[in-house]
Amino acid sequence: MSRKPAGVRTEYIETETGNKVARKANLVGTQHIMLGGKTVIMADAMIRGDLARTAPTSSSSSSSGTAPGSNTAVFIGRYCFLSKGCCLRPRDASTRARHADDTPSAFTYMPLRLGDHVFVGESAIVQAAAIGSHVHVGKNVVIGEFAIIKDFVRVLDDTVIPANMVIPSFTVVAGQPARIVGEVPEGGHEAFELRELYRTVGNNPQPASV
Amino acid sequence: MASFTPYAYIQCPCVDSVPGSRSPDGASTPTSHSSPEDDERDFDPRSPRSNYSLYPIEYMLYCEDCHTVRCERCVTEEVVTLYCPSCLFEVGNSSVKTEGNRCTRSCFQCPICIGPLSVQSLESTPAAPEPSLLSADHATATGPAGPWILCCSYCNWNSSEIGVKFDKPQGIFAQLSKLRSGYDNHHSRYTSSGDGDTYPTKRDADGEPGSTKARFASLKSFYQTQMSNENPNSGLGSTMDYGYGSPGALSRIMSLYSGNTLSSAKPKSKPTIMREADTTKEGLFPAKLDDTSVMSGLRSAGYDGTATRAQVNVQVEEGARFATDLWPIPYVLRTKRTKRCPSCRHILSKPEAKVSNTRWRMRLIAGNYIPSITIKPLIPVGAPGGPTTHLLTPVKPVQYLLTFKNPIFETIKVTLATPAVTPGRFASKVTLLCPQFQIGANSDDYNLDEVLKDRDKDPQRKRSDTTGQQVEAGKEWDSGRNWVSVVVEVVPSSIQIEPKPTILKKLGEVDDLGPLREDEDIVEIPIFVHLEWEASADQVTGKDREDKETKEKKELAYWCALGIGRISPE
Ligand SMILES: [Zn+2]
Ligand SMILES: [Zn+2]
Ligand SMILES: [Zn+2]
Ligand SMILES: [Zn+2]
Repeated sequence: MSRKPAGVRTEYIETETGNKVARKANLVGTQHIMLGGKTVIMADAMIRGDLARTAPTSSSSSSSGTAPGSNTAVFIGRYCFLSKGCCLRPRDASTRARHADDTPSAFTYMPLRLGDHVFVGESAIVQAAAIGSHVHVGKNVVIGEFAIIKDFVRVLDDTVIPANMVIPSFTVVAGQPARIVGEVPEGGHEAFELRELYRTVGNNPQPASV
Repeated sequence: MASFTPYAYIQCPCVDSVPGSRSPDGASTPTSHSSPEDDERDFDPRSPRSNYSLYPIEYMLYCEDCHTVRCERCVTEEVVTLYCPSCLFEVGNSSVKTEGNRCTRSCFQCPICIGPLSVQSLESTPAAPEPSLLSADHATATGPAGPWILCCSYCNWNSSEIGVKFDKPQGIFAQLSKLRSGYDNHHSRYTSSGDGDTYPTKRDADGEPGSTKARFASLKSFYQTQMSNENPNSGLGSTMDYGYGSPGALSRIMSLYSGNTLSSAKPKSKPTIMREADTTKEGLFPAKLDDTSVMSGLRSAGYDGTATRAQVNVQVEEGARFATDLWPIPYVLRTKRTKRCPSCRHILSKPEAKVSNTRWRMRLIAGNYIPSITIKPLIPVGAPGGPTTHLLTPVKPVQYLLTFKNPIFETIKVTLATPAVTPGRFASKVTLLCPQFQIGANSDDYNLDEVLKDRDKDPQRKRSDTTGQQVEAGKEWDSGRNWVSVVVEVVPSSIQIEPKPTILKKLGEVDDLGPLREDEDIVEIPIFVHLEWEASADQVTGKDREDKETKEKKELAYWCALGIGRISPE
């Protein structure tokens, strides 16, 4: 596929299902990360698969591959795009216990789910419980724990979505803390499609069509 | 200022239309106003009126029956579903009428920062391991007990700061409104006794709930009785009929204005003057003229203890002055709406009714009917021979590529027109190098790779290879199966504010030497787009296109405003 001579390390690892993962991406606990295919992960993007439901110490034993789903920390759908320096971090349901005197018996990380066509902007931090399909998360956005983002949502740059917030479909949110600032227009649905963007990155990038 | 994204806005024909019902002459029908071919008229994208009619193509719908674009301002909307944006529960129409447009479950926004509030146990806030989120048995066994409070996860405000605690974690709205009316009642009584004004006895005796809702209800019933007493014939009609049109009310008003003349002429018909509400039972809410408590509050709480304008504005009830007067805000409901064409009433867009369903039953978007326009500099910023900054240099010609992409299955003939200079104080020169061209039809089996192959065949035509190709007047710059790129040349004006040379002035013209206004440094080109295509007669419905042979000539024309870039201030 690559035009580069054999032996030269390519910038991206391209998997059978069409994922393009930059070699400089920082994936921790890959056995707990599920990619739906055709997803792009750029350099310095971080996915904390190690924050799986069980205690992180036991996750190093690689027996978890037999039952995917039960122990998966991060689910990513098709045609997602994780920009440079973003971080996907499953939320830790035991954070509220941090101040407690008794240490929690087990880590209770809940899986983080991304739908299809989810764009995560540069340096964004995602700790949401779930992000739907056709969602655009801008640059430097912080999505707090337990937050739920439904389908067709545009999160503008530098937004901070507080923990527990629910963002309904077809809304545009911005601000610190986030508030709904607009509606996605009827003609704006196609802009969430990431097939085109997927083609323009990788070891053999195609020029953007008109 | 660092970057500027070029834009193309389309003007909706509703800009020069008056809604049919309100047309001043009354005779013109709503359909007679749309005359987009009227290119005699000038279009200034900067005029304040234009603000309301210019939209990006994504925001526009298209009516197939009227063959024109429609914007969000002119479409008529019908609510399909009302729902709470936080719990996503649907709210029935009847409950909206009785309960109002806010969520009546447990969804609240923080009064300080508008972040979402969640219900937490007051006891367990810092210590309990799992508040109510995991298994139910867990919750019942060791689950935290009340009292409960609302907590903000963003700014850490919680409702105990205003002394609000709940007995149970469900039905917070009802609990809160009960607390609120009790609070207001207590509050008003407390201040009135402190004021020592003329009303305390009355108010204490009445013991009316102090909420706005209750006051409104008592005012309404008071004035209704007043009116029916005054004029039994008209006042008894409907509850919304205030009886101003009745002869009794008219004579009363006449007597007020004309004074003695009327009453002396007809002494027997002198009406009894309507009394105003003067007790709290009747809904009177005396203004608190004594500000001593407010001043002492200010002294103790300081500036930080006062509520900001923004915080007061989002409160449900008015009159908050201190942070301690701010109450949790129940979420305002949102809607899913159907949109109709203003003139033919056909449905242009209709969402599925269910909140969770993001599909649309109908969605006639302009982008499927008229060509999209994208703008980019011919020579990208930073490229050899290209500009080094995103700002436009005054008096230095710069070329931009306008790419028109055809979404329909017919070839479109496009004719463009622009004024030679942009309107406004800073007139930039504009030249369209190819004002007339044809865009090929879109097709179902549209294949991106094929288009790319076409383009790669001829390296001379590659858009990035700008040095080899000369910009020729009257020629398209580049084209593909269903798109065409043309060049527009702009000579940006200087944005120095200086008097115009007298020789260039029109008679009586006065110099506008005011400071640079917002976005006045943007080169914005008004461009008139005229489209012509032949449509199969049945293309409207999209069925049996092949069967029909009859072709119909279609035309559409509209103004666009193209934002090219900002002029450097030098
Ligand atoms: Zn309109
Ligand atoms: Zn709600
Ligand atoms: Zn807050
Ligand atoms: Zn119509």
